[in-house]
Parts: sequence; C-alpha cells; structure tokens
Amino acid sequence: MRYVCPICGYIYDEAAEGVPFDSLPDSWACPMCGAPKLMFEPEAAPEPPKPAAAPAALDDDLQQLSAGALAALCSNLARGCEKQYKEEEAALFRQIADFYTAAAPAAEKPSLEDLAALFRDDLDSGYPGLTAAAQAAGDRGTQRVCVWGEKVTRMLYTLLDRYQREGEAFLAGTQVWVCSVCGFVYIGGTPPAICPVCKVPAWKFDKIEGRRPA
Amino acid sequence: MKELIAVRNLRLCTKDCLCLYVCPTGASDTEDSVIDTARCIGCGSCAAACPSGAISMVPVRYPPQQKKAETVLAPSYVLANAKARQEQAARQLAAAAETDGLYRLLTAVAKSVRLVNEDLLRESGYMLPQSGNAHALLRGWTAEPPSPDFPAEAAQALLDALPDNDA
Repeated sequence: MRYVCPICGYIYDEAAEGVPFDSLPDSWACPMCGAPKLMFEPEAAPEPPKPAAAPAALDDDLQQLSAGALAALCSNLARGCEKQYKEEEAALFRQIADFYTAAAPAAEKPSLEDLAALFRDDLDSGYPGLTAAAQAAGDRGTQRVCVWGEKVTRMLYTLLDRYQREGEAFLAGTQVWVCSVCGFVYIGGTPPAICPVCKVPAWKFDKIEGRRPA
Repeated sequence: MKELIAVRNLRLCTKDCLCLYVCPTGASDTEDSVIDTARCIGCGSCAAACPSGAISMVPVRYPPQQKKAETVLAPSYVLANAKARQEQAARQLAAAAETDGLYRLLTAVAKSVRLVNEDLLRESGYMLPQSGNAHALLRGWTAEPPSPDFPAEAAQALLDALPDNDA
C-alpha cells in the first residue's frame, strides 16, 4: 500500500520502507514538507465527491469586498508594480493597502478554535465550491489558485490543531518559515529546498522572527 | 516609442558586465545596478549578451486582462472576505500571544493568509495595476473617498502614472 502527502505529493511506499504506515508514530511527518501523518491518504482512495457548485448568487452583497479584502487587493497590485519595476507606484498601492488593513474591523474575542473553524469552512465549502465554479467556466487560473490555496489552508489548519494539542514544545528550538510566493508555512531549522506547494526555491521563504531577536 | 525596457534581476546578476559593453546608451551602468529605464531604448542587446540570464526585456504596454466569469467572481469574493476575517483574527491573536512560539506561528498565519488572498484577488480581475478594474477602483476612491483619512492623493497619483489598458 502507498500513502500520498496531500501537500507535496510525497509517496510513502510500505513495500519499499518495510514498515507499515499504521505502525509509524503519530509524530511522524512528511520528510519533504512536514505535513503530519494524519493528513496522508491511501493512494488508491477515490477523489472525494466535490459538492455541486453553489449557485452563484450575484447580488450586490456578494460582490462587495470587505476592507480587509481590499487591503489584500491593493497589496497584490503593489506586488504587480514591483514585478514591473515600478517602485513608486508600488509604494502608493501599499499606502492604500495599509489604510484598509487599519480600517478592517476587529474580530470579537478571536480564539484559535474560531480561526481553525474559519479554515475548516474554506476547506469544506469555500474551495470545493470555487473549484467547481472555475471548472465549469474553464478558468484554469482560478483552479490553480484553488490548488495552492487549499493546500496552504490545510497546512494552516493542521498547524493550529497541532499547536492546540502540543503547545509551545512543538515550536521550541525551531523556526517558522513562510513561502513568500504562495504562503505555505513550514516548521523546521531550514526551509525546504523547494516549496512543496508552488515549487519556488528555498530563498523565497521568509523566516518569522520572534518579538525579540533570538 | 519604445516597446520594451530592460530590467536586471540582481539576484541572478553575476557581474560579468557584458551588458555594459554592449549597451548603446550606457543605461545598464548605474550606481545602484538598476537599469536606467529613461535611457534604455529597448534594443535587447544586454539581455542577449548576459551570460547569467539576469536581464529580461519587459513590455512598456501590457495587453488587456483576461475576462473573468461572474459565476467565478461571486464565490471568489466570498472566499476573499473569509480570508480577510482569518487574517484579522490571526493578527489580533498574534498581538495578544504571550509565548514566543505562538506569536511566531500566528504571525506566520497572518502573513500566509494575506499572500493567499493576494493571489486569489489577482486572479479575480486584478492581475495588472494597469487594468480597467484597478482604474475603476481608483476612480471611485478619488471621486468618493471612503473616509476622511483615506489617502486619496495616492489614488490620484496612481491614476496619473498608470495607463488604463482596457479603456
């Protein structure tokens, strides 16, 4: 039997390893990307049926982007300017992005559980629904966004879950890295040689510093 | 009018300096290693000569954006608003974190979610800063700033600096 990592596609082959997958300790993680054992799926498992695309309601409410979303929209356009070597325009879009970041309404008493539940919603309905809509429209760009975003979101959900179970010990003496292209979060001493989600090289990862420099 | 300008990727540049030898205007020889776009005439000699592939020729004008179906945009916007809520929650939780590990994890989560949302919105009609969609937003903000402290002058400066490809 072979088991596949849903993040990076690494295959654990029981025949080659000589150890049944079930016998691996729960702490075992994907050697390529650090995804935990419980995320692995048997290779032969059929694709879970995708929920039918929720009929796209096109009323005005749904078309409205919140302040926080406008912040991301503008920081995206700032990146677009950077790629075209337009530094002044990038700075102007960042200024508008910062305005909207500050204008985003505060969450009421957020908790790790609430945040994990929001990720769960995206995994259960947000991404399957958008993927189905993009497939129906033949929109491969949006399908690509879903492939990356779903993997990144699954990893975030898993990391929050792991923190809630293991606490600080899980992050003591190690580093937290974010892929500056797709947002994939990796825990380890050094970043992976290539991003398991978007395949950019290690130097595209940013190390997240603590409040005090180590 | 020139159609292309040369840009140098400093990460790839190995300072073999062939671009300096071949540039007819001296645009590639600058104190900060950024090619002088005002001097560049877009001939492409530097890009062809560079042994490291560090120089690429980028267009001055970009084509219109790909059109997006409304049936895709509606669920994209819903997801973008969900991502914004996640980022905000992660940001607040990071600010309140009392331990170093949790602070770093939640800072990473906020950054990650922002990147995912940027990617989603880029694919939702906002790929190019020169797009008609971006211009429509900017025009709306200058006509009716969303609040008194909104940087309307930044929006106006962008309208002045960027062409509207979809006009």
